Amino acid sequence: MGYLQFLIIILFSPLVNGVIKKVKAYMQGRIGPGVLQPYYDLLRLLKKDMVVSTETSWIFKATPYIVFTATATAAVIVPVVSTASPFSMMGDVIALIYMLALARFFMALGGLDAGTGFGGEGSSREMTVAILVEPMMMLALFTAAISAGSTDIVRIATVHPAAFSPSHLLALTAFIVAIVAETGRVPVDNPDTHLELTMIHEGMILEYSGRYLALMEWAHYMKQMILFTLAIDIFFPLGIAQSGNPAVLATAVAVYVAKVTGIALLMALVESTRAKMRFFQLPSLLGGAFVLAFLSLVTHIMMGK
Amino acid sequence: MKSWIEAFSIIDFISVGILLTAVTLNAFKSIESYVKAYTINSWLLASLVAVVAVLVGETHLYIAALLTLATKGIIIPLFLRRIVRRMRVTHEIQPYISNSLSLAISGILVAVVYASLKEGIFITGFSKDVLQISIAVILISLFVMITRKMALTQAIGLLFMENGLFLAGFSLTFGMPTMIELGVLFDMLMGVIILGIFAIQIKRAFASTDLDKLTVLKG
Amino acid sequence: METEQLLHFGISLFAVGALSALVPVKTFRIVPYLLSLIGSLFFLSLGLILTVITPASYQALPASSIFEFSLRGDALAGFFVITISLVASAVSVYSIGFTRNYVYAGLSGFFTNILILSLYSVVLSANLFTFLISWETMAIASYFLITLDRSDETSRAGLFYAVMTHIGTAFIIALFFILYRFTNRMDFEGMKAGIASMPTAVKTVVFIFALIGFGTKAGIVPLHTWIPRAYPVAPPHIAALMSGLMIKMGIYGFLRISFDVLGQGPEWWGITVISVGAVSALLGILYGLIENDLKVFLAYSSVENVGIILLGIGASMMFKSNGLATLSSLALTAALFHVLNHALFKGVLFLGAGSVIHTTGSGNMEHMGGLLKRMPVTGLFFLAGALSICALPPFNGFASEWLTYQALLLGYQSPSVTAKIVSPLGGAALALTGALAAAGFVKAFGITFLGAPRTAESRDAGEVPLPMVVGMAFLAIPCLLFGLFPGPALSFLMPAVYAMTGASTTLEQHGMLGVGQTSAAVSPIGMLATMAAMMIAVMLFIRMKGGVRKTVYGDSWGCGTPGLTPRMQYTATAFTKPLRIIYKRIYLPRRDIKVQYLLKPFFVKSIHYGSEITPFFERYVYEPATRFIQAVASKVKLLQSGSLNLYLGYILITLILLLIFAT
Repeated sequence: MGYLQFLIIILFSPLVNGVIKKVKAYMQGRIGPGVLQPYYDLLRLLKKDMVVSTETSWIFKATPYIVFTATATAAVIVPVVSTASPFSMMGDVIALIYMLALARFFMALGGLDAGTGFGGEGSSREMTVAILVEPMMMLALFTAAISAGSTDIVRIATVHPAAFSPSHLLALTAFIVAIVAETGRVPVDNPDTHLELTMIHEGMILEYSGRYLALMEWAHYMKQMILFTLAIDIFFPLGIAQSGNPAVLATAVAVYVAKVTGIALLMALVESTRAKMRFFQLPSLLGGAFVLAFLSLVTHIMMGK
Repeated sequence: MKSWIEAFSIIDFISVGILLTAVTLNAFKSIESYVKAYTINSWLLASLVAVVAVLVGETHLYIAALLTLATKGIIIPLFLRRIVRRMRVTHEIQPYISNSLSLAISGILVAVVYASLKEGIFITGFSKDVLQISIAVILISLFVMITRKMALTQAIGLLFMENGLFLAGFSLTFGMPTMIELGVLFDMLMGVIILGIFAIQIKRAFASTDLDKLTVLKG
Repeated sequence: METEQLLHFGISLFAVGALSALVPVKTFRIVPYLLSLIGSLFFLSLGLILTVITPASYQALPASSIFEFSLRGDALAGFFVITISLVASAVSVYSIGFTRNYVYAGLSGFFTNILILSLYSVVLSANLFTFLISWETMAIASYFLITLDRSDETSRAGLFYAVMTHIGTAFIIALFFILYRFTNRMDFEGMKAGIASMPTAVKTVVFIFALIGFGTKAGIVPLHTWIPRAYPVAPPHIAALMSGLMIKMGIYGFLRISFDVLGQGPEWWGITVISVGAVSALLGILYGLIENDLKVFLAYSSVENVGIILLGIGASMMFKSNGLATLSSLALTAALFHVLNHALFKGVLFLGAGSVIHTTGSGNMEHMGGLLKRMPVTGLFFLAGALSICALPPFNGFASEWLTYQALLLGYQSPSVTAKIVSPLGGAALALTGALAAAGFVKAFGITFLGAPRTAESRDAGEVPLPMVVGMAFLAIPCLLFGLFPGPALSFLMPAVYAMTGASTTLEQHGMLGVGQTSAAVSPIGMLATMAAMMIAVMLFIRMKGGVRKTVYGDSWGCGTPGLTPRMQYTATAFTKPLRIIYKRIYLPRRDIKVQYLLKPFFVKSIHYGSEITPFFERYVYEPATRFIQAVASKVKLLQSGSLNLYLGYILITLILLLIFAT
């Protein structure tokens, strides 16, 4: 059973996004679309024809598939509700981040392929945000890895049931900032609009239509849920199943649902209470998060926990 | 209660919180945020003393905690707010070093403190960690004082430094003898009041407390 | 075949190849490269044998007391021989196609063969004398290869390169002197016995000289400045050789001296190397990102990768000085693996850049675009190289960077606090350079190969001749294979690692890379298989839910305006402009804006905008140093008045002084 847990991410990630949208809507005094709307959108897109620009090469058509499969592989690696899966041996934290980086590389290429200004801008800004986020995210993950003695996610999830130490909390804060940046949420990027000023992810996928667009959006939802799951696994994996026992698995699923909902609510809260930052203010924000991650490392060295 | 405190290493959390408020001082631009950071810092300090009081069981520590809370946590912040309102300044003038850079330098200062104090110091009293954090706080507040231009920010930096000194002394001796602590507290209070009065007077006389402009006064 | 026979065959093939290049018959043009190809293959087998059996030594020329030219192969040499052979054979194949129309084919063939032979000779040298001779030959051959066309641009670049490389060689000669003085032996193996008696201060001096001297060749910041000047003007096959192999000679020399001969040093050596590596990697890629010329960008990327290799070497030194032999071997394995991988993917990238420049006539990315549709195979291999250099799975770059991360994270186990802080920071630096490199290569591949062609030349470009493409394949395919199956590659370098650090770790089992201590593991082939499975699954799902759909082709979306031109695309400069703004404290750009007014300040006639970025060490270190040397030189010039009497007077004075002080 444990080896089917990646299906949870593949199948339920649109739902998570729908929930976040719904909560944001309520906070803004609207009713908003239903939580199942992303599913309807994906299915609708699959049934449409594709419009492809004549300027593009095979990269354009291959990118959605590569992005989707790379993200799906990352979903297979990360332990969702159980650490007893054979697939988790396939990669550790670093492999997971780099699979997501592979997806991002091709998304950026796809943005440049159509030869438009929007795509180029999206690609350029996406790579720039990655430059600002990656070191900070890696440092936070390294601190957690060092305290667990390994970069293997299963190991980290089993050693510390909950990150109850100052250095872990600092690392978690930095990691949450990283999640906001990587999933393209306010204050880094606005996922709801299509204006040039606020399009990083949307800019790169602007030219896509039909099933290509469906795959890109779906991959985006999956990446979000993978990062949530990673945060849970590393910082508070309490309740994760360590065997195949059905009762244990059932509790693990319930606990996981609760945690993901909590993070989703946090994301909605952050998005609703902040304005999007000017792009060139991002280095200050992400640099501050880097200092947090650095402090978490130093605190860990000093305090030993 | 005692075992609960130890099990969850509350002391570690509180001391890291103290460090964090000192570090975030670098990131803020508005005087109100500085005052808020100072308030939180003092409250954390007082709670640390209270926690140690529970662990050790000495009554004079409870009194010290209450005293810290009263002066540093309530009276001084109130006074600072009054001064800020009277002076009608809200933001720090462009500091010598940009906020991001000073944030990074504070981080490095923390690392340097940890790296240097690791070996050799034989400490009686609890948690060498707390000593390291207090020295880091002192250095960071000194650094903030060096790089900012407003007299009021310097005053707040001085207050942070006093907090750090108090914490350092506390970690080494389980609370300095109450009399000395009382004396120091009253000195601080007097100092803040006098500084406040001076700041307002200077502003009235010269229309600015920007240190750059005040250097004109030498000679 | 015996190793000695292999060696003799190889050397003779290269010698004949060099000489055959001088024959001015047109059909003979491919002969030198065919011979160099076969020669490389001979050396390849030699290298493979050397990594399995114990060291063998042979003398190529009869000996006299000090100046004997002798070669010796041990495990470390064997590994480097393999690396050289792989790249040299691919470059040979590429050159067969490239030199068909190359004007200087004859001389180029001659010097190329000599260059490759000198590379082998450096690595196989048994003593200081052989090493220096090979080192100089390498420098001279590459100098000539760069300046073949005698134009102003190449001469200037060549001169800069010659000066820099000789500064480095000066340090190397100095350190060789010191070694000889203290051990009285010229051969590397025999020196080791005398090292124990060397005082630590002298060892430190040797270490620093080695770092500076070999670092100049390897290209560490700030000694790398010749690289972005020399590589762009060199013809592509030479640039591939230089970038893939020659800078590794710097690494080889450094390893030979600090690991093999010096043995072990204090911890701060390792920490220094890690810091130098991190700074080098970061500054290298930062300056590369703002370049619009493909080859200059690739040159800076080489500087970055040398930094990454040094991260691994530094970590290994650090562990070794703390007695953690297994960790030391892990770190050194990561570094050596990256040496091999970088040679492979940098080779592909430079060859690809060469092909692109060959067909479009310009190296500037801003003049290209849409080349993937016109040069599909070259583009595909270039993409493979780009994916490898960005350390993306499942290519080889990922495997070696993963190992480097593991080594750095395990740095936590060192006793000193400095090491505990520096190692994870090294890991963060590695992450940062990875992200910067990814941005750079998205730009390089995207602007060059994707989008619409920006000039007529790129619109009319076509695929290059077959040998050039096959040469690239020789390098691109191992990039993927070594990424999926790192086992064979690791077996090339394990014996060398064992010799250097005294321990070996099994890092690969059943196609999985794994570190025993931490039970961290990664399986690139598993990930690729999963991706393939997901691809099939998702395609089936789409067919099920969406049915068969048709694709309509139209224009790119331009907000409704008709007539999008290629000029409206994102440019290379624009792509990295945000980085130029964010890192402006490092770049210190100088902006020059001149405005001509018809009527100040409202009516503007013209605006001139210029922006320039000079690396800060060039402005504050190199330029003052050059000015100082020129000032001193002009003073010394007074001694050369041209008068015969004065010169005779100098001789008289010198004789008198000798008489007084020597007796």
